[in-house]
Amino acid sequence: MERHRLLSELKKSGPGKVGVVLFALLITVSIYVVFTYPPDFGPIRWSNPAVWADNPKAAPPAWIHLFSDTRPAEHQVFETTSPVHAPSGETHDLEYVFQIPFTHQADEPPTFLSFALARAVYHLRPPVVTVLLERPDGEEFTLYREILRGPRPGESPPYQRHFTEPLRVLLSAERRAVEAVAGFLKGLEDPVPPQEQWQRNLTAALFGSPASPEAFGVLSGDYNLVVRVMVNDPADSVEKVRAVVGGSVFGALGTDILGRDLAEGLLFGLPVALLIGLTASLINTLVGTSLGLVSGYLGGVADVIIQRAADIVSNIPLLPLLIFMVFILGPNLWIIILILVAFSWPGLTIMVRTMVLQLRSGSEVEAAQALGASRTRIIFRHIFPHTAPFVFAQLVFFTPSAILAEAGLSFLGLGDPSIPTWGQILEHGFRTGAVFLGYWWWVIPPGLLIVLTAITFMFLALGMEPVVNPRLRRARSWRLWR
Amino acid sequence: MVRGITMVLVLIAVQFLLVISLGITGLSDRMLEAVIGEELRALRPSLAETIRDPDELEYALRVRREELQTSYGLDRPWYHRLPEMVSRVFTLDLGEAHTLRSFTGSNRVADIVLERLPNTMLLLTTSLIFTAGIGIAVGVRLASKVGSLSDRIVSYFSAVSYAMPAWWVGILFILLFSFRFPIFPSGGMYGTPPPPAGLFRFLDLLHHAFLPIITLVLASAGPYIYVVRTMTLDVAQADHVTVARAKGLTEKVVSRRHILRVAAPPIVTGLVLGLAGSLGGSILVETVFNWQGMGRLYYEAVVGTPDEMVIVALTFMFTLIYVIARMILEVLYVILDPRVRYQ
Repeated sequence: MERHRLLSELKKSGPGKVGVVLFALLITVSIYVVFTYPPDFGPIRWSNPAVWADNPKAAPPAWIHLFSDTRPAEHQVFETTSPVHAPSGETHDLEYVFQIPFTHQADEPPTFLSFALARAVYHLRPPVVTVLLERPDGEEFTLYREILRGPRPGESPPYQRHFTEPLRVLLSAERRAVEAVAGFLKGLEDPVPPQEQWQRNLTAALFGSPASPEAFGVLSGDYNLVVRVMVNDPADSVEKVRAVVGGSVFGALGTDILGRDLAEGLLFGLPVALLIGLTASLINTLVGTSLGLVSGYLGGVADVIIQRAADIVSNIPLLPLLIFMVFILGPNLWIIILILVAFSWPGLTIMVRTMVLQLRSGSEVEAAQALGASRTRIIFRHIFPHTAPFVFAQLVFFTPSAILAEAGLSFLGLGDPSIPTWGQILEHGFRTGAVFLGYWWWVIPPGLLIVLTAITFMFLALGMEPVVNPRLRRARSWRLWR
Repeated sequence: MVRGITMVLVLIAVQFLLVISLGITGLSDRMLEAVIGEELRALRPSLAETIRDPDELEYALRVRREELQTSYGLDRPWYHRLPEMVSRVFTLDLGEAHTLRSFTGSNRVADIVLERLPNTMLLLTTSLIFTAGIGIAVGVRLASKVGSLSDRIVSYFSAVSYAMPAWWVGILFILLFSFRFPIFPSGGMYGTPPPPAGLFRFLDLLHHAFLPIITLVLASAGPYIYVVRTMTLDVAQADHVTVARAKGLTEKVVSRRHILRVAAPPIVTGLVLGLAGSLGGSILVETVFNWQGMGRLYYEAVVGTPDEMVIVALTFMFTLIYVIARMILEVLYVILDPRVRYQ
């Protein structure tokens, strides 16, 4: 019955309603993440630099151009497995041609241009890879021409190349690309920017034409990146070609200094935060309540010991001891949770004990005792149910504290390194100076998410308050800290 | 008196926790080895003057090492050395730090930690005073108009302020007030170069302390306002207040003598409980603002080359500060609450 009242009261109060809606939202997103992310997301994706190599570093979110006059270069990634032309089997037709058409529409050149080639197989001699850039103004630049690695001593055909690591080339820094640009500029009649100037940032020259003797203007329009692979045997093959036009902005929430997609990491942080908060809270409630029941109902020596211990533990300043214990025992998520519980149980124990003391002398318990009910039966059937709504409210109330404590620990560099959390993302940002370079997209969203999650539970707790503490209903207010 | 005993027990419990975890993880052995190694290093040059033969010198040093190991108790398991270790932590006699140095260049743990103590105290006490002032002024006022718009706004603000990690608010402040609008410095305690001692140096310190203090106050004032409001409200609804009003006493007298006087002790308790929070908060806020206090030192001792002994010393110091502060407030409690009298 009390349980029903808890729910109906939640629906009635303003903060309660907001809390329920937010909580449903958090749970839905968490379920989505749990089903779509690999369980070992931390080590195989987040902490794996190879995954993020193609992304721009420390790029702000894509939507910032809505607030500025200039249009930033967007980040574009293309991948193709089907060549527009493949060797037909005739002697003189031994060429694969991959085409990657793309549009560049921005007020600035891309930040970089790169291409990758994966899983090549040859039988006789190594193939020659050539990369060309066709521009909207009809110009054509040869950016790259190399031969794949020849057979190693003792290796026998078919020779497999770039099966584990793709061949990755930063085209906008290639020697041949510099030559191509120099040749193009030499053919122009107007004065052109000196080589020392554009050599440092080749994309300005690749994606523009000289607008003045000092600078390049951006050339917008349709480009085409052509990858030609000249082979010597019709049976040779190339499986995959990939091109990245580096943008200055990225995705919904930008990237960090390693090019990691922050949106992806932050999304993963949600179920982790809920797991930390709810698990710590659940264990804490279990330990705190049972100690309180024992202490209140049994009395005697057990009571004295538990109360003394609770008194001492509740007076220990949490964070310094937490830091020390995690430092000594190692940064493991479960250890962090257990230590949190080890220092947090007394609050609940003291409160439950007070309630039990009142109930113990009440008529219900007296009647049950007179009927010969056993001690466990009295505790579970006649005492615990009365404390249940209160205990449940405490469970909800403790959750944000656990989330905030873990975030603080992570921020000090004591987070579990195998599981990315919001606190760790903030810590990384802080340690690498994101705050002082103004990378707001790296430090504001994780904090906001921590606040949002914590506040969801606060609102839920506030919504339950009238049931837990009926006197406050009269005052039409809710009470937070006791 | 029971409270006082509890606080002493807290200190002892923390001591034992520190010492036992040091012992179990073998850290205490390493710590003593380091001390012995240091002594031998100091001994070598003077011994080398009298003993010319290198083999003989090595032998003499080995004998000396064994003597030292016995005297420090390294030949016995760690739990036999417990009392000695407790006293070491108590006196901060924790040897030398690996990489951290004090501002004067000393690498003794005690020097490093004690030097930072005043900086932390400055931050803590200032923000505590502000929190108490704002909390009591606003909280009491709100209690007299429960349910009004301002009451609700402040209540929501308290909830939000509780849910916001203080250190993150600090980061936001840096982004806003030192990056976007460069009004305040982003960290440190003095500008470079530090102004000459005197008024300017003090003003510079204030300028640097502004953001960290505001951050700490903002984080703890919200919840505290709510505590004060609720406590006052609780008392205001009691029967004796109704009686006082019925007697025809003026509202001023009722609120001062019958409400605030009674509500004072729990309000102080609220401040005490908030202290534990702001102690933790100060560790993180100092880290964010590069404030050269014990909190920042904590961060430096954890990140990079971990410095175990500095961490032990800091944990102990933070507990000690907390216990002392609680004792002081305990005395205040006696003054405030006429029912509490120590015989």
